Amino acid sequence: MMRRLRNVALIVVALAAVGGVYALLVPSPQTAVAQTADTARTAQGRALYEQACISCHGANLQGEPGRGPGLTGVGDAAVYFQVSTGRMPLAGPQDRGYRKAPAPEFDPTTEQGSANLAALGAYVEANGGGPTTPTTPGDQLIGSDVAHGGELYRLNCASCHNFTGRGGVLADGRYPPRLDGATPTQMYTAMLSGPMAMPVFSDQQLTPEEKKDIIAYVVSVRGQNNAPGGFGLGELGPSTEGVIAFVVGLATLVGVAAWIGART
Amino acid sequence: MSTPREPTGHELERMSRSELVELGGSLDGVQVVSDEPAHGSDTPDRERRSRRLVTLLLVLSLLCAAGFVWAYLFWPTGYVPPGAPGHTAYLLYTPLIGLTFFGAVGALGVALVVYVRRFYPDEVAVQHLERGPSPEKDRFTAAATFAEAGAHTGFGRRTMIRRLGLTGFGVIGIMGGLVAVGGLVRNPWRQGTDAALWTTGWKPTGDEPVFLRVAAGDPREIVKVRPEDLEPASILTVVPFRESERDDVEKNHDAEMAPDNPVVLIRLPAGTHVTNPPGREDLHHGDYYAFSKVCTHLGCPAALYDTQLQVILCPCHQSEFRITEGARPVFGPAARPLPQLPITVDADGYFVARSDFLDPVGPSFWEMRRGSR
Repeated sequence: MMRRLRNVALIVVALAAVGGVYALLVPSPQTAVAQTADTARTAQGRALYEQACISCHGANLQGEPGRGPGLTGVGDAAVYFQVSTGRMPLAGPQDRGYRKAPAPEFDPTTEQGSANLAALGAYVEANGGGPTTPTTPGDQLIGSDVAHGGELYRLNCASCHNFTGRGGVLADGRYPPRLDGATPTQMYTAMLSGPMAMPVFSDQQLTPEEKKDIIAYVVSVRGQNNAPGGFGLGELGPSTEGVIAFVVGLATLVGVAAWIGART
Repeated sequence: MSTPREPTGHELERMSRSELVELGGSLDGVQVVSDEPAHGSDTPDRERRSRRLVTLLLVLSLLCAAGFVWAYLFWPTGYVPPGAPGHTAYLLYTPLIGLTFFGAVGALGVALVVYVRRFYPDEVAVQHLERGPSPEKDRFTAAATFAEAGAHTGFGRRTMIRRLGLTGFGVIGIMGGLVAVGGLVRNPWRQGTDAALWTTGWKPTGDEPVFLRVAAGDPREIVKVRPEDLEPASILTVVPFRESERDDVEKNHDAEMAPDNPVVLIRLPAGTHVTNPPGREDLHHGDYYAFSKVCTHLGCPAALYDTQLQVILCPCHQSEFRITEGARPVFGPAARPLPQLPITVDADGYFVARSDFLDPVGPSFWEMRRGSR
């Protein structure tokens, strides 16, 4: 009886030992594989960096005076925003860094392009860290509370980008862009990284959920999505509407008055 | 023009309607010069077409009115986001209301104008009127009537009563004017150095610290700010908050709504070169600077933070304030720096205001130079 109990106990201990050893051993090769993949991606990013960015931002991301800022610590989010919107690489010395078609090797709509963007971002991220691009796909970055997003948008974004993302004016002949072409991921990374003249909106300031609601608001008002009158008149505000009301309205009233007063 | 003979009551009873109209006209000196039938109804064919057009317009007006009432009562008006079913119906609400209202009023108006133009006869009538003043006998008799009334009622003789009465009416008039104008007369400086133009909600009361609270539009949401909440090159709008008012929703709502309270808290990028104005070197906390959000030109919210040039831009008239030089205006119509709020961090790591603004907030005013500070 005692002997049988001891055998059972032995088997239990042996099983536990095997399971424990297995649990200890198996994850480590997995981590090792992941690390190799990361290293490979960083190396690929470095290669891309040395082709496209090095002449202005320097061999060690330190920046070149008069040509480009240092990129240490700007993070993967900044890389994604600048490169996927075509702002970087610059087309030439006259290029002030506004949105244009992205370079074909960095086109976020192609598989190769997004892989290259991720690699380049990983390389920059590996040098000083910084905010990272969200891993969730773009359509899941559109939040559900459009009204709350609108409130936050008017508090934080509308002073520059206008109430429905029409853009505006800045000092020195520059301008905040329209938000028509921006994808959810680009808007998200712009808030995280604060590109060009734009301030940074960190996750402490606007939580990820709040960022998603803001994106939902922008998506819901841009294009012809917010034209309950049928015709937005450029959605520039009361000036255009006033001009139209004055010119068209007055002409119509004069015409009607002339028709009423005319003799048959 | 000869005056027609006055008809007797018997004659009047036997006259036809057109004869009565003619008599009335001649009594008033009116003469019909020409009376053509309306152009739109002078043949049976034209008459029928005109009648049909007016009927059509009136029916259209009625249909539009019914459509307006129906759409106003039953059309779905709740917001439907783009892409969701029912979005098109939501978009159509405003045009539908507008078009049916326009149709109802417009068609009715057009129907009236068309009716007048098509059916009213083309009549020209001339009325004989006297020129110049009334005849002498009318003027003399009217003046005598007034004088007679004054004499009969005794007002002409009783000078004392007449004058007192007239004065009474005048005083009542002044009373009315006083009530209307009195409400507009205020002394904005009655509170001396505490007058509204010199102070804001940041002014400390007693020893209680005034915290910087995130202006999020919800008076129930109290978020105090710590330095680590802001990344370099970021901006946050804050309003004053006191712990004793934590549960006072109304006070916190007022603090957010008060026009002179909003402050932009800015964290400059590390290593930004700053030259503070003399005597204002210690108002900031490290890279954190707090300025009034109210433009000193016309009071717009100046909140475009350009992180490349380190300027705050006002979107209304493009005034630019250089943050690194005490928010000095460098471009545009504003003539005064944005007032700076002296800030520091308390023992728990939260931002607090050290005092009220050192300068009056908002657009400049005449009395500013003889101000209390």
